[in-house]
Amino acid sequence: MSNTASAKTPGLRAIQRVRAAVVQYRRPLILVSVLLAILLLVAGLISQSSEPEPVGGPLMLRRLTEEQYRNSIADIFDAQVPIVGRFERPFRAEGLISVGTGKSGMSPFAIEQYDASAQSIAAHVLGPKGRAQFVKCGPENPEQFDEACARSFLSKTGRLLFRRPLTKAETASYVARARSSAKQLGNFYSGLELSLYTMLVAPEFLFRIERTSPDFNGTTGVLDAYSKASRISFFLTNSTPDDALLQAAAAGDLDSDSGVRKQVDRLMQTPRYEDALRAFFADMLHFDTFADLSKDPEIYPAYNSEIAQEAQEQTLRTIIEHVMTKQSDYRDLFTTRDTFLTRSLGTIYRTPVPERDEWMPATFAKDANRAGIQSHVSFLALHSHPGRTSPTLRGFGMRQVFLCQDVPDPPATVNFTAIEADAQKANVTARDRIAMHASEPSCAGCHKVMDPLGLAMENYDGLGTFRTRENGALIDTNGSLDGRNFSTPDGLAKALHDHPETPRCVSERLYKSAVGRDIVWKERYYLDWLIKGFADDGYRIPDLMRRIATSKNFFAITQAANANTARITTDGGIS
Amino acid sequence: MALHLPKSSSRLIWGATGLVVIAGASLYALWPEQRLQAEDGTFVRDGEAGFVVTAFAYAVGPDANEATCPLGMSKNVAEIYGESPAGQRKPGEDDEAYSKRLDAGGQEISNAPDGRNFCMHPQIAPVDRFARTLTSSRALADGLNLDGKISRSKADAKSGRLDFSSGDGSKGIDNQFWRAVGCNHSFQSNGLSNGFGSEMYTGAWGILITLSGIDDLKNDDHVQIGIYANADPMQISPAREALGYATYAMDQDESYRAVSTGRIKDGVLTTDPVDIRLRKVTNALYLDRVLKDARVQATLSPDGVLKGYLAGYSPVENIYDLQFGFRNATIDTGELAPLGRRLGTSNGAARVLGHTCQGIWQSLHRLADGHADPKTGAFTSISTQYTFEAIPAFIVDVDTRKANKLATAGGMK
Repeated sequence: MSNTASAKTPGLRAIQRVRAAVVQYRRPLILVSVLLAILLLVAGLISQSSEPEPVGGPLMLRRLTEEQYRNSIADIFDAQVPIVGRFERPFRAEGLISVGTGKSGMSPFAIEQYDASAQSIAAHVLGPKGRAQFVKCGPENPEQFDEACARSFLSKTGRLLFRRPLTKAETASYVARARSSAKQLGNFYSGLELSLYTMLVAPEFLFRIERTSPDFNGTTGVLDAYSKASRISFFLTNSTPDDALLQAAAAGDLDSDSGVRKQVDRLMQTPRYEDALRAFFADMLHFDTFADLSKDPEIYPAYNSEIAQEAQEQTLRTIIEHVMTKQSDYRDLFTTRDTFLTRSLGTIYRTPVPERDEWMPATFAKDANRAGIQSHVSFLALHSHPGRTSPTLRGFGMRQVFLCQDVPDPPATVNFTAIEADAQKANVTARDRIAMHASEPSCAGCHKVMDPLGLAMENYDGLGTFRTRENGALIDTNGSLDGRNFSTPDGLAKALHDHPETPRCVSERLYKSAVGRDIVWKERYYLDWLIKGFADDGYRIPDLMRRIATSKNFFAITQAANANTARITTDGGIS
Repeated sequence: MALHLPKSSSRLIWGATGLVVIAGASLYALWPEQRLQAEDGTFVRDGEAGFVVTAFAYAVGPDANEATCPLGMSKNVAEIYGESPAGQRKPGEDDEAYSKRLDAGGQEISNAPDGRNFCMHPQIAPVDRFARTLTSSRALADGLNLDGKISRSKADAKSGRLDFSSGDGSKGIDNQFWRAVGCNHSFQSNGLSNGFGSEMYTGAWGILITLSGIDDLKNDDHVQIGIYANADPMQISPAREALGYATYAMDQDESYRAVSTGRIKDGVLTTDPVDIRLRKVTNALYLDRVLKDARVQATLSPDGVLKGYLAGYSPVENIYDLQFGFRNATIDTGELAPLGRRLGTSNGAARVLGHTCQGIWQSLHRLADGHADPKTGAFTSISTQYTFEAIPAFIVDVDTRKANKLATAGGMK
């Protein structure tokens, strides 16, 4: 044994000394450790609550989008309830339809269509089959008016449709309308149907009307509980608040951070959360403009309305898998090779897809010349002309959609004939055609920020099929993005991934979408805070959405002192 | 006898079972997700290429004329009845009444005295004196020399087994099917019989081709070819044109798959004989297209268009059924189709296309030139040539027959 002791190395002796010191100073060390832990906890809490002083913006009046309308009816009644009306073309503002909903008007056509939808919904819900499902009471003789039943049905349904409890006056009014109609029509359910129809065409249903809490001082304050519930719900589910959320609002739970967090976490676990993500990204990627997209069938025979739908679905599935299922870094959406394909899309990507009528998870091979959602058909086809590519449109699209950068509209005198004339000319590529952009001073200013980005995507034709030649000439795909040069899809993907505006843009868009308006000047600190948090959380979109939905700024209201905005109170009055 | 295990053994079994369940669940959870590897490239990848046939027709020659069909064209039963004394127009008989009477008379001579229909039983019918064939030695036809011989002797001419020359000077072309139908109205360039596009493009049937072992698209002394029935409908554009680089599944029934070898010389692919069986659907009647000792001769363009001939010998009874008689046609479940539909289709086709079932059956047998019966010496097949064009496609071997479920037990085997 002594031999062993004498053979100790200097390293072992040092360990022994440390061990002895630890034993000797055990108590002070424990104390220091506890203090350090408390300090770290406090620091963490401070860090968590380091949201800048809430600023907020004006109260909003936002029209339901088509998806929100449909989701609301499906959630309040049933997904099978028919909605026969057509929806007006959405208006886009600040790059988002969800912001445009706060700025668009309503045409006579839209009112006609809402009317038709309301009639079909009310007829279904209170028809012979529907009433058994949706009305839990009723008179034995339908010719008799059942006051209690009418009150119960209309107040419960009205609460869900208006996203707040009906006032006494409102309830009385809808019941009275049902009574007088039932009397005239000779049927209790026909009376209810007319009252339900009236609710469905009411601004309280078609618009999200925000209200402030009673302590609003005229310039700063917060939303009332039901307006908070609506903001949370439409942001996280793209649908109307459910019963549990309205109950939480009624109970005052949404006035506390923990109450809000509880509801946010709950809603993010529902199937509708995916719907909300899909709606946001479809909005951000301008997928509504597919309705206007046409392709020359002689040049792109594979394009049809089915492909247009599948192209959008491919990208949305890719995004959902990436940001929600895998909880991956948002920036990797621009480099990922993982996607989903159908046989129809396989004809464009020129890859075999064994299963018919099914979506197959797929990964593009490294040499398949695809990386990121910007290399999907949904982006490449949407940002091209009907018969040819457009480096300008693609460059503009990338700057606008992914980096939130604005490029001014072209001058009214721009002459497209030179480009069109050379479109099919032998040995002429897009780079040759748009060379004049650099030489013409009135064009160069804007095109130098768009064209180099789009030219790097010229290896994809106007539909998105990979190619190496155009009109017989080898395509030069050298391009650049804000000082970074590349010539391959991978190079472009990396440049977009690493661009500082990429995470900033999606943070800004998400917040704008959530509140339905542009960011006010004083909110820039809040946006910085969001972006820093986004980075700290590994650029995970669900974490960013949770951060927005649980932030104080999300519910804060600031009205300009001289704002000529009527205040609509919860009792239906205007003050 | 009940098995009693000691308590310790019982625990051991439960423990082992638990471990197996946990291991299985872990393996399932950790098993890498099956993802398709999506690729890109030209139509030849790793020496393999696939094609879907987009045009398919009988290889024929120039339209008949007085020199090639000196006795005129074949007649249908109504026209034949019209030649008889009873079939002459009666004084004052209007067009509609006369046409009806001709049809009725035609139907009458379509059956044996015992009521059996000649389309279903052509072997019991008398010789059709009005059937015409392309016996002229001056007639031309497209196609391949299948037997390596150039049969142009007087004996060949007398037997009707006379090889064709083509417009480009090729000789020894074995295309007896064209001799059998060359004097029928429906097989002329504006006729209804020489084309299968509409059914192929509606997804009723299709043909897939694979090439593998390709080292050089211009000259390669050994490649493999696969010819398969297509289990999927063709993917087409809004203008109803076939789309390139679409994915198709080969038929899961092995009898609809044929594999052979071949070679490419100066850009022309030539393959070795192999028996093939393809599907064909007409009027919702399912039949098999059989071609014995079939071979392909085709050119392959740089952008992957394969264009040429598919030629071989059709068993006479098979091609009679396939094109004219429909005797063994099935419905999609593989059951024999209702007699009424088979009768209506075969007799209706004969009426519209200008032939009689017995006449064409007799011509096919008389002009048959392949696969002699070892006992009787009679030829049992007839040389048949098809032109085809195919474009790049991805051919996969999976069961995807959901929408166009075809009979696995149906058709001729």
